[in-house]
Amino acid sequence: MIEVSALIKRYGDFTAVRDLSFAVQPGEVLGLVGPNGAGKTSTLRSLAGIIPATSGTIRIGGVDLATDPVAAKRQLAFFPDEPRLFDYLTVRQHLNFVARIYGVADYEAIAQPLLEELEIAEKADQLPGELSRGMKQKLAIACGLLHSPRVMFFDEPLTGLDPLGIRRMKDSILRRARDGAAIVLSSHLLHLLQEVCSHVLILKKGEKIAHGTLAEISAQFAQGETGVSLEEIFIRATGGSEN
Amino acid sequence: MLGALLYLRLTSLKNILLSRLRRLKQPKYLFGAIVGAAYFYFVFFRRIGGSGGPKFTVSRGLPVAALPGFDLASALGVFGAFAILLILLFTWALPTEKPGLAFTEAEVAFLFPAPISRRKLIHFRLFGAQLKILISALFFTLFSRGANFLGGGLITHVLGWWLILTTLNLHFMGAALTITKLIESGVSAWRRRLMLLGGVTLIVIVSAVSLWRNAPPFPQGNFGPGAFAHWLAQVIDAGLLHWLLIPGKIVVAPFLAPDTGAFLRAAAPAVTLLIAHYLWVARQEVSFEEASMAYAEKRATRVARIRSGGGIGSAPAKPRREPFRLRVSGRPELAFLWKNLLGTRPYFHWRVWTTSAAIIVIGVPWIVRHDENGAFAAVISLVAAIFTAYALMLGPQLARQDLRSDLPNSDILKTYPLAGWQVLLGETLTPVAILTGLIWLALLAAALALGPRAATITWLTPGFRLTAGLCIAATVPVLCALQLIIPNAAALLFPAWFQATRQRGGGIDVMGQRLIFVAGQLIVILIALCPAVIGAGLVIFASQWLIGASAAVVLATIFALTVLGAEVGCGLWWLGERFEQLDLATELRP
Repeated sequence: MIEVSALIKRYGDFTAVRDLSFAVQPGEVLGLVGPNGAGKTSTLRSLAGIIPATSGTIRIGGVDLATDPVAAKRQLAFFPDEPRLFDYLTVRQHLNFVARIYGVADYEAIAQPLLEELEIAEKADQLPGELSRGMKQKLAIACGLLHSPRVMFFDEPLTGLDPLGIRRMKDSILRRARDGAAIVLSSHLLHLLQEVCSHVLILKKGEKIAHGTLAEISAQFAQGETGVSLEEIFIRATGGSEN
Repeated sequence: MLGALLYLRLTSLKNILLSRLRRLKQPKYLFGAIVGAAYFYFVFFRRIGGSGGPKFTVSRGLPVAALPGFDLASALGVFGAFAILLILLFTWALPTEKPGLAFTEAEVAFLFPAPISRRKLIHFRLFGAQLKILISALFFTLFSRGANFLGGGLITHVLGWWLILTTLNLHFMGAALTITKLIESGVSAWRRRLMLLGGVTLIVIVSAVSLWRNAPPFPQGNFGPGAFAHWLAQVIDAGLLHWLLIPGKIVVAPFLAPDTGAFLRAAAPAVTLLIAHYLWVARQEVSFEEASMAYAEKRATRVARIRSGGGIGSAPAKPRREPFRLRVSGRPELAFLWKNLLGTRPYFHWRVWTTSAAIIVIGVPWIVRHDENGAFAAVISLVAAIFTAYALMLGPQLARQDLRSDLPNSDILKTYPLAGWQVLLGETLTPVAILTGLIWLALLAAALALGPRAATITWLTPGFRLTAGLCIAATVPVLCALQLIIPNAAALLFPAWFQATRQRGGGIDVMGQRLIFVAGQLIVILIALCPAVIGAGLVIFASQWLIGASAAVVLATIFALTVLGAEVGCGLWWLGERFEQLDLATELRP
């Protein structure tokens, strides 16, 4: 579903992502982890078509993002860490706008259950300024899910959520994966990876340090020890520093 | 304790100045600073040294000072006092979110829990306001020094402005604190406004009666603006208003003093009034903390929005009426028109446009019919022409409901399954629609006002006039689109620079950058118009003998629209490509 081959992203002389290749199949949740400045956000933004890759290939649902970005973007949804909303559109109007952009014919039939599932149906006629941080996050998620994307990218999905919101977000991600979506999420929260991700990709200074299932990664860095925590594995994998 | 507060103010000021100086290392700021400084030098500073200021005349060829029996300073004193009276009335009548004592979030966090008395906090605020007042006084002096007929020196003008601004500032603080106190004691906002309205009504009635009985004669013959000003001052400064204007006259008198001696004589009562205001504010026993904290929070949110590229105004408080029903099927670009229209003022609605057009269609011919010497028709045409020119030239800088407002959301816009040019086209539709609507209304008014006069010119047949009018109207949307491409291109090509120019109070360098933008826009639009205008002119010249004037104008318009449309299309396509490559986070990195 997501195929990345030899992805490189440079900003001038600085290389943020180096020769990155991986694939995410339907039903898989890939956790993108690494210390600050590892290239997680650059990778995620390149995958979502927000910034162009310097070189390499990204295919979304078999469509090359560089050659046919419109067709590729039709299949994906990107959820930024900070919900980006339009100040002057109500919750319902946000969904109406997104429905027109993606051409979601029966959007009202999809939107209402979605709003109810995310528990913002009662806020349908309110502006973002009247919503709490968590509610805004839910609205951003509803907008992203309206066109039933097959590929989803989450950047720090738990930022600003309360404990109940965190639980619901985790459940939501797992449910979408069970329904066949391919998901990539970037986070510093290792417990999130442990609970949600089927696969992990560890980055450091733009390079892939490790990639595989949680069990595979644990086996690679546990060095024969048993009961090694994910935190310890992360520290061992990244060498315990940003550099 | 005040020493610490003084340290905070002065250190902050020093750091602001240093950071402004440091950023001059970047060419874009240095270039802006040079342009801004040159603008200030040529427009303002040369006036102070030279004699280039405007000469105010009372009647043709007769300088103000030479007119017997007319004291311009007194007249200006009356107008100034009247303006102050109006400002104070609005201050007391209209609600404001700004509390009497406004603090920043950092000041709230550090100073409110600190062992500082409320009186000292008030003094801190008063002292803090002085910096802005001093800068404002200097700027106002630069502006007012052009009026060299006033007399007085540079120092007396600066001090005069300082007295006016400080007294007003103290009055605003005192009024806000008093209103808070009234609300706390159970006097509602509506009761306060009713009382004020009653008072204003009484003043207006008493003044009107007084004016009716002792109205000064309106100047006769070929009078100039000075004579009219003199008459107006007499009208205002009569009856009850004469007494109400006394405090205002006291405040503006030092600024209008012609020499140092007069200044000192005028300053004594003005300073007494200022001290009275200070005592009024400093001795108020009213809670300001909660209102200050709420305001600080709002202000911080607004600043964050501006810094992240959002609009300068506040976010809307309640949902607005949809401009039209957005169907799910159809061109996605129209979704941007719908979205951005929702973000504009509610009066940009087709109902308001239709009503305005109906008023113009009925009102202008009625005025023209009753206008025997054609003066009103000329005024309507002139105003419409000036409005059209301003809307075309400055409109794109003001109507920003396009990508410039949505730049912070570019990450989300780029994940939409749309080509870059589609996003650009959709984003540009709203300001195009607004500016086109406004210009069409102005053209309609001008056409109706000039109609009877045009009918007297033989070759301007009704058919030709209609054709030419429709052709001009048809070019308006494309011209607006062309104009809007330039500021949107600036936002996309120089996002960091563009972000800097849309923040308030950026300093002389940012002002210079704004000037560069405006000049750049003018040059680019002139270049872009050349092929269309020259081509259209040639088409008319070559074809009117064969197909007639009306058909030639239509042909020329089609040619011009094709050229301009192609330019707009190319511009949108190129900007769309640029938008797809844009990484705002990287561009805005310092």
